[in-house]
Amino acid sequence: METTHSFHPFDSFLDRMRNPASLDLVRSIKSFIVSFSFNAPNPENDAKRIQDFFQSMEAAIRDHPLWEGSSDAEIDNALEGLEKYVMTKLHSRTFASSAEDVKMDAEISDKICLLQTFLRPQHLDIPSVLQNEASWLLAEKELKRINAFKSPREKLLCIINCCRVINNLLLKASISEDHVLGGADDFLPVLIFVTIKANPPQLHSNLKFIQLYRKQSNLVSEAAYFLTNLVSAKSFIVDLNAKSLTIEESEFEASMQAARLVNRVPQETLTTFDKMSTFRKITDPGPSTPMHIKAKTNLNGELNYPYMEAEAGELTVGDVEKLLSLYKDVVTKYTSLCSTVRHLSFSKTVSPAPQGNDDDLMRQTNGRTYKDTSCQED
Amino acid sequence: MGCSSSLPDRSSGRSTGLNNADNSEGPDAKNLRVKLVLLGDSGVGKSCIVLRFVRGQFDPTSKVTVGASFLSQTIALQDSTTVKFEIWDTAGQERYAALAPLYYRGAGVAVIVYDITSPESFTKAQYWVKELQKHGSPGIVMALVGNKADLLEKREVAVQDGVDYAEKNGMFFIETSAKTADNINQLFEEIAKRLPRPSPS
Repeated sequence: METTHSFHPFDSFLDRMRNPASLDLVRSIKSFIVSFSFNAPNPENDAKRIQDFFQSMEAAIRDHPLWEGSSDAEIDNALEGLEKYVMTKLHSRTFASSAEDVKMDAEISDKICLLQTFLRPQHLDIPSVLQNEASWLLAEKELKRINAFKSPREKLLCIINCCRVINNLLLKASISEDHVLGGADDFLPVLIFVTIKANPPQLHSNLKFIQLYRKQSNLVSEAAYFLTNLVSAKSFIVDLNAKSLTIEESEFEASMQAARLVNRVPQETLTTFDKMSTFRKITDPGPSTPMHIKAKTNLNGELNYPYMEAEAGELTVGDVEKLLSLYKDVVTKYTSLCSTVRHLSFSKTVSPAPQGNDDDLMRQTNGRTYKDTSCQED
Repeated sequence: MGCSSSLPDRSSGRSTGLNNADNSEGPDAKNLRVKLVLLGDSGVGKSCIVLRFVRGQFDPTSKVTVGASFLSQTIALQDSTTVKFEIWDTAGQERYAALAPLYYRGAGVAVIVYDITSPESFTKAQYWVKELQKHGSPGIVMALVGNKADLLEKREVAVQDGVDYAEKNGMFFIETSAKTADNINQLFEEIAKRLPRPSPS
């Protein structure tokens, strides 16, 4: 099986399709694709039609003069090309097309964001010999690429590559570290952890898309096994609670609560605070640094807080309503930020906020909002 | 039919598993392909059994492409049929128990493993048997395996308990040792013989 994403056979498929001799095939493919524009998307029904089409095309290609005398591998390449062509054309209809799927994707991604703030390998009892940052990053990278591709096969390859990286890690550990090969007992926890670290885009929709639209005859064996493992990792994450982990229930709840608060603090507040010199000053925005705050706010906050530069004499009665609502907004944000900071500093499971010098903070938050950073952190 | 040899080591030609491309062989009467799911508590040695089987005990240097949790191996039976096992390992920890149906869906064979030194693992095995009877594919071939049979002095589950339970539930039973390779090939050959054939030859 291939281990890369490159797929030159696709070009050879397109070449053959340009050959006048394949006009009949091209016609059926085009009319098949067009036929979808007549009715609303319906994943189960669409999948059945598409799978049936792949089957009938397989027969047509096998009998076609252009493929006369072709090997099984060549026929298979043509079918892969067909799958990629059809599914790319029908992508917007078949991928994450229902509101339900979109909602599910968002829920999973949000939950993973919360888990990322405190989950550690030991919560899943992952032995330390398997905690290999380099391998894990590589595996994460493969999962994160999943939306760079539109065909089911290429998306599936991202999953397969991710799983192979983990497999290699397990095999390596069993050889060099003398760790007894634990099979799935070791594999699944690492995959779950990697999935949480990666927070792959539209996880639910991607899995569903592959399950429904990957040519069924190719969704067997190792590929099916790896896909099942990611489906199972997703399912574990969706149902995850304190009992799923090696963690005190109270600690789990407190960590989730703290994570929710971090995520709830509105973006613009945090962006403003990002520019401040140290995190300590955020916890204590006392009167000692008014000029500093004012200067920074001017840089970043004037759109959100238009009265920062205003003088009392300029205000009119008409401004009261706006001022009051801005005041409430600021107080809400400030309260939730303080509460977050309190949780962060009290919770043992959450790694402390960046404590280093100014440069450190700037480097960590450079180019991202604080929210993003907290999501990315292990 | 005629697969009655009790000397599987001599009778089974072992294929390396390398020459079988994933989709090259369609299922037919002579060449079966079957999905086998492994269930059992973590630490009972599920993956060791499979590794033993796939790597073989006679040639430990044989380089079979193996993953850590998915393995496939083809065996040839005396009646010149071959069976390709696609072996799906499952995580045995309690926290993953609810995920098992995702793995045993569509499996033709379930091998349920316990550790003869651990009564808890035997209880867990019985749980899996019940679960498969309720939710497994109809006609699934089930084998009950007491592993770590080399640890005789630490035995806590009597052979007879395994035999009785398996008989009551219409399963094949065997005790194995992944460590000494005892009965490993027999396990898979027995399973192969019990597979339903598309057309008996």
